[in-house]
Amino acid sequence: MKFKSIYTLLIPVMLLSACKEDFIERPSLSGTTTGNYYNNAQEVRSATSTLYSGLPWRNYESRAQDAIGDVMSGNMFTYTDVEYLNFSISSASERIGGAWGAFYKIIGYANVMIKTFEEKKAAGGDASYLDPAIAECHFIRGTVYFYIARTWGAAPIITDPGATALSGNFNIPRYLQKDVLRFALEELQQAEAGLPESDEPGRVTKYSAKGMMAKLHLYSKDYANAKAKAEEVINSGKYALVEDYNGMFTKMSMNNNVESLFAIQHQLSQDPWGTGNLKNPDRGAGALRTAEADAWEMYVPSLDLLKEYEFGDLRRRWSVMEHGWTNPAWKPQRVNAPKYNAFMANGFKYDTLQPTEDGGSLNATRSNIVKYFAGPGKSFGSDAVLGQSSGNNVVLLRYADILLIYAEATLAGAGSSNDPKALDALNKVRSRAGLAPKTSFTEDDILHERRVEFAFEGDYWYDIQRQGFAKAKAMIEKQNRGTVTAPNYVTTFTEDRMFLPIPAGEIVQDPELGKDPVPYY
Amino acid sequence: MSCLAGAYAQDRTNKGATLAKNQVAQASVKGSNQAINPKAVVKGTVSDERGNTLPGATVSVKGTQVGTTTDADGKFSINMPAGSKVLVISFIGMKSHEVEVGNRTTLDITLQYNDQSLDEVVVIGYGTAKRSDVTSSITTIKAAELKDIPAAGVDQLLQGKAAGVTVTSNGGQPGGGVSVKVRGVTSINSNDPLFVIDGVPFVGGNTSSSSGYAGLGGGDGQTGNSVMAMLNPNDIESIDVLKDASAQAIYGSLAANGVILVTTKKGKQGDGKINYDTYTGVSEVTRKLNLMDLRDFARYQNEVLPIIGNPVADEFKNPDLLGKGTDWQDAMFQRGAINNHQLSFSGGRDKTTFYLSLNYFDNKGILLGSDFKRYSTRFSLDNQLKSWVKIGLSANVSRSIQNVSLADAAEGTIWWGASTSPLIPVKNLDGSWGGGQTVGGVQYNNANLVGNSQYRGNTKTSNNIFGSFYVDLQLLKGLSLRNELSYSLGQDNNVAFQKAGNVGGTSFRSKLIDSRSDSYYWSITNYLNYNKYVGKHGLQLTVGHQSQNSYYQAISGTKVDLQANIFDLNTGSSDQTTWGLSGGKGQWAMESYFARANYTYDERYSISASFRGDGSSNFGPNNRWGYFPGVSLGWTVSNEKFMKGSVSNVLNYAKLRLGYGVVGNQNFPSGAPNPAYVGAVQFFSGPVGFGSSNMINGIPNPNLRWESVKTANVGVDLGFLGGRIDATIDAYKKVTSNMIIFLTGPNLIGVGDQWDDLKAPLGNAGQMTNTGVDIGITTTNVKKGDLTWKTNVVFTQFTNRYDKAASAASALDGKVYYNNYLVTHTTPGRPVGSFWGLVTDGLFRTQEELGASLPQFGYKVNQNETWLGDIRFKDINGDGKIDAQDMTFIGSPLPKFTWGFTNTLNYKDFDFSIFLQGSQGAKAFNFLRWQLEGLNNAYTNQLRTVNDRYTAENTDGALPRFTNTNKNNIAMSDRYVEDASYLRIQNITLGYRLPKTLLNKVKISNLRVYGSIQNLKTFTKYSGYDPEIGSFNNSIKLMNVDMGHYPNPRTFTVGANLQF
Repeated sequence: MKFKSIYTLLIPVMLLSACKEDFIERPSLSGTTTGNYYNNAQEVRSATSTLYSGLPWRNYESRAQDAIGDVMSGNMFTYTDVEYLNFSISSASERIGGAWGAFYKIIGYANVMIKTFEEKKAAGGDASYLDPAIAECHFIRGTVYFYIARTWGAAPIITDPGATALSGNFNIPRYLQKDVLRFALEELQQAEAGLPESDEPGRVTKYSAKGMMAKLHLYSKDYANAKAKAEEVINSGKYALVEDYNGMFTKMSMNNNVESLFAIQHQLSQDPWGTGNLKNPDRGAGALRTAEADAWEMYVPSLDLLKEYEFGDLRRRWSVMEHGWTNPAWKPQRVNAPKYNAFMANGFKYDTLQPTEDGGSLNATRSNIVKYFAGPGKSFGSDAVLGQSSGNNVVLLRYADILLIYAEATLAGAGSSNDPKALDALNKVRSRAGLAPKTSFTEDDILHERRVEFAFEGDYWYDIQRQGFAKAKAMIEKQNRGTVTAPNYVTTFTEDRMFLPIPAGEIVQDPELGKDPVPYY
Repeated sequence: MSCLAGAYAQDRTNKGATLAKNQVAQASVKGSNQAINPKAVVKGTVSDERGNTLPGATVSVKGTQVGTTTDADGKFSINMPAGSKVLVISFIGMKSHEVEVGNRTTLDITLQYNDQSLDEVVVIGYGTAKRSDVTSSITTIKAAELKDIPAAGVDQLLQGKAAGVTVTSNGGQPGGGVSVKVRGVTSINSNDPLFVIDGVPFVGGNTSSSSGYAGLGGGDGQTGNSVMAMLNPNDIESIDVLKDASAQAIYGSLAANGVILVTTKKGKQGDGKINYDTYTGVSEVTRKLNLMDLRDFARYQNEVLPIIGNPVADEFKNPDLLGKGTDWQDAMFQRGAINNHQLSFSGGRDKTTFYLSLNYFDNKGILLGSDFKRYSTRFSLDNQLKSWVKIGLSANVSRSIQNVSLADAAEGTIWWGASTSPLIPVKNLDGSWGGGQTVGGVQYNNANLVGNSQYRGNTKTSNNIFGSFYVDLQLLKGLSLRNELSYSLGQDNNVAFQKAGNVGGTSFRSKLIDSRSDSYYWSITNYLNYNKYVGKHGLQLTVGHQSQNSYYQAISGTKVDLQANIFDLNTGSSDQTTWGLSGGKGQWAMESYFARANYTYDERYSISASFRGDGSSNFGPNNRWGYFPGVSLGWTVSNEKFMKGSVSNVLNYAKLRLGYGVVGNQNFPSGAPNPAYVGAVQFFSGPVGFGSSNMINGIPNPNLRWESVKTANVGVDLGFLGGRIDATIDAYKKVTSNMIIFLTGPNLIGVGDQWDDLKAPLGNAGQMTNTGVDIGITTTNVKKGDLTWKTNVVFTQFTNRYDKAASAASALDGKVYYNNYLVTHTTPGRPVGSFWGLVTDGLFRTQEELGASLPQFGYKVNQNETWLGDIRFKDINGDGKIDAQDMTFIGSPLPKFTWGFTNTLNYKDFDFSIFLQGSQGAKAFNFLRWQLEGLNNAYTNQLRTVNDRYTAENTDGALPRFTNTNKNNIAMSDRYVEDASYLRIQNITLGYRLPKTLLNKVKISNLRVYGSIQNLKTFTKYSGYDPEIGSFNNSIKLMNVDMGHYPNPRTFTVGANLQF
């Protein structure tokens, strides 16, 4: 029985030969940690890069921007987001939730980055690359809070999501709109101070911050500061209007052109969620749908917008497809569709007489949107499209805006103006569109110009809104928001529709949002 | 339950009751011949198989009160009364047996250790225990109770068979997910119990995912599939479910959701056996929805198109001229089929036993494009190498191929099938696929699901190997050491593909998403078992150590424009912008110490205590180790003197049990970084922003610690009328606290738990309580001659309460339809997964009612907003307006109780069983009906019920008016919450055993043929396809949410069991 005693001796050895302590110390295999990363400029700038991407912006830019900025303002017609046409928006509405979620998600990204980078700096990190990155975050945070203040008026302000989440106290109130705007402005001021004069194309600079501040000042009717900031951008000489207006929205090669001050960065890639521009199918005419490009024309130009264009305004065909519109380079083809293929063989023609199954187009307003529609796909003569995704940036601030802000800020609420520098700014925008220069201008001239210049860019609602309730109501109620067969005029616009309701789901989780706003400062 | 019967059958043997004949045969007797002496003194020695003498063994004369016990050397001496011929010898932990004394006066008796046969022992984790010694709540199910049910996995088979275990199929998808919950809803994270198959734990849970359809463009359905589908149910011998913490604590941090111990079949000593089992069957959908046909649809068009300002098409002007159009339900459902073949060989000789089985299982689903095939084999070998060494190994190898139809999402196959307009043909006259038909200038459904099924697919192929190798050393008498190496290897290939072509209004670009992953797991477990019996004292000790290690890696590639539609990544376009490539890996390790002590005294009192310490790589240094104790007490009242006598004629067995324990949980919510306590930086597989980007993906919480589950259990085992009625009743209270959760709140916080969210910090928050009662009753109603009738009743009742959330404002939310609609929201005090929404209060039917209306979400009274025929909601908070704050609890998805009721009849060579199963009191959120009765969409098909909607002519209509502008009518509300109670005739089987006389001629030892019907009939008020909905991908946030859920089929099978 000797062997048994040997085993008896082995037992304690086997049991106590517990694995070394590091057996259960397992570092991350697929990532790294904030503790041991962000140690050079490239690592830090790769982080701020996500702030420009569709990853956080997606649910705003895809659809919410259209529904709020253009459907609600009467620029677009839709069968889907009908409540934005009729102002029967409820707090459960999808697009409101989309925009809200996206905006606060972007702020969440920026908040955590600011905190992480500040901690890196405190731990001895190099300020030469951490400071500009922090300034980029401030730009994003300021811009988004500005958007939030325009969209909802009073709204919550969050600066440290980690601490808020760990505290478990989600009873965050709405703050007064003026305080949200002030917070946004202060963010942009920090951005202006910390951002470089210039950077690689697409990255925000001092001038992006100045431009966004000009827009914010104009919104707040602080004309002097709006004018000053716009002027700083103009005087920098770094920006100009591009000749190819349409290309700004439809050609990847024109991403981050000389007119762009701030744009959501898109790339063409197989997985579009967070990478690609998703506007292509929502806007594309059904006749242009191919195996490469989805197109379901969820949003089409409104009849009222079509009426807005002056005779000879080149922006009409740069922005809208109507009967007779052509693009000879586009030759979409489909499997087993000989009539369609024959019709498209010599290039795309927008035709309301051709049967729709054979390539014709006959929708509610007899028109489709050109902006941000990249085309039927690479094999069919356009920029590449992958299903729902194209690679065009979504421009949020461009030089034409700065010029028109400058002109409007110069007017400063007066009846009309013939200030030569202001006229020069306005006429630069007009002349690109092939229109005769103005010799004097009014607020309405500016509004008209802004409407057609920025049509389908998600901005016109805020132009209407900042006119105040009485004028906004008048502007809205004279718009035809219907179809060629059934005109539709809104007659019930009330003041409570000037700002969007807080999403229902949010109030469920934060009942404070249902109460009156309080001061932040 | 039958185990319990076995357990005290043995008790009775100790008191001298009759033993089964086969047990007699198992003792070896060496005796010396002597002349018969009418009053002879018989002497002898009792020892075990290894020659160790057994002191304290009971020796009694059968049929008398005469008895004695062996002395310290295992010797006894007994006076045989005249006429007595048989001695009964018994000893705890050994098989009792009877000896015919004959003319012998000295006997050497060898008792065999209990062979773990099911009737007598319970598998308790790192060991076994006699049922009579068990003091905690453990339910045992034998293979015989699970036979004849055609199912892919053991998880599905447990439905209605084990008290305290709530099993719902998550859908009829072959090989699809099964939601198994042991005693209520334990955690807000995964509730998958730990399955341990012959000692191999499946730590990854019971759900594996396949890829969704999102990559092809479309709504993802359920991607969760049952891991247990890899194990052939025919290989299972028994299942033990550890239900309370005193039993589970030995598994520590893996046990919080319950532990299901599966014991597979082993070879037995004796003649080899060849078994062939087979069944074949067909299946069909049990119910169809009452949808509009083309005539109804045309009438509907004529009425609703003017409301949205569209002209009515000439084609619809006279509906009576039209045909019925396409029945899309006929088009999407098909006749399913099921086939199973199992061949097994087993036997044992010269201290070696083996078991080998081969299985082929093939199940074609009732929904287009869904099927599941499995090839599996299991092998086990055990050898008593030396008298003190036993070794064994097992290997289970399986390959399964599953085509996932991803049926049950909004928007999935069934969603589209039910809502596609009947005017769309499956195929056009020219042979092309229907879809995108334009009528009156309006283009109807672009998609054609039948066409799609020919062009798109999603196939998951899994190869799995798992098993173990062990060495058992008998070190000293009563002391053994077991060393066990368990392993599992997994390899998955998941292919989602789309061929180039045109379906209706959609043009498909060919595309291949080819994802592969592999994983391995191993554990090394060493433990000592020590058994000591002295007189009335019995002691069992277990102490051990375990190391576990797990690793996985995955890679996925995507290409488009495949040459000739060949599904090979090399055939795709060379344009790199069209490529997709991503991967990932992770690991996990755990080290554990465990110990258990059982002490029994005089078969009356027992106490068991166990303890486990787990250190896991999932937690940071601050809280890396978790400690899990458990203790339980048992009192076998029926062995007390005062229970003897006439009481025992009625109540022949009674045991009280009391247990308390703490177990842990380290299940993380999906999307948690690995490890979770650090702030992770995440990288993207494709370009983001300016190209290569990264993202901070987690706010560190170094204090993250174990989720804790404390259970108190009180139970009683009762036997009446000499085993005619056995009952086990357990009541428990289970408190889960420190749940591991993403500390998310409203979106405005800016961090969350979605894939593109910056991840909220993980924290320990919340508390949840489950209280419940499990009752299992087995009765032998008739046992007379050739007729036996047995009944088994299983009753499971629990109430769940989410006591505390992370904060007053945070809650558990379940959203559907691309995350757009919140349907569940659990606030403290409510059951988890509670439905949330507005409360309806009829319709506005008159101008007066409209005039008195409260503003609903800021709406005014006009035709575009609130108008006649709209839904009136209740002002829950009484603030004079209807808004989000009037949303409230509108129903619980949890049943009040579930039950199973099985009757088995045997008459001569016939057997018949009927198994009823049901669920009472659960509500379901019928989100499919939201689409089919929404009355907000003019172009998709609707249920016929919408004919009774409010119109100027039908002001008494049951449903609201049609409107596409008032969005409040389709707000989430109690309008879509339904009673999902049901009673189901789950299985009826009739079998016939062919006469032996006939079989012997062809060397067949046994042949049984049977026919069976599964899911014959369901009695329910639920209006959807199937009231058994389960949890979407096993998420407790989406229990009983029906988004066009894959219904469970009705299956008719015939089968045969053949033994040579």
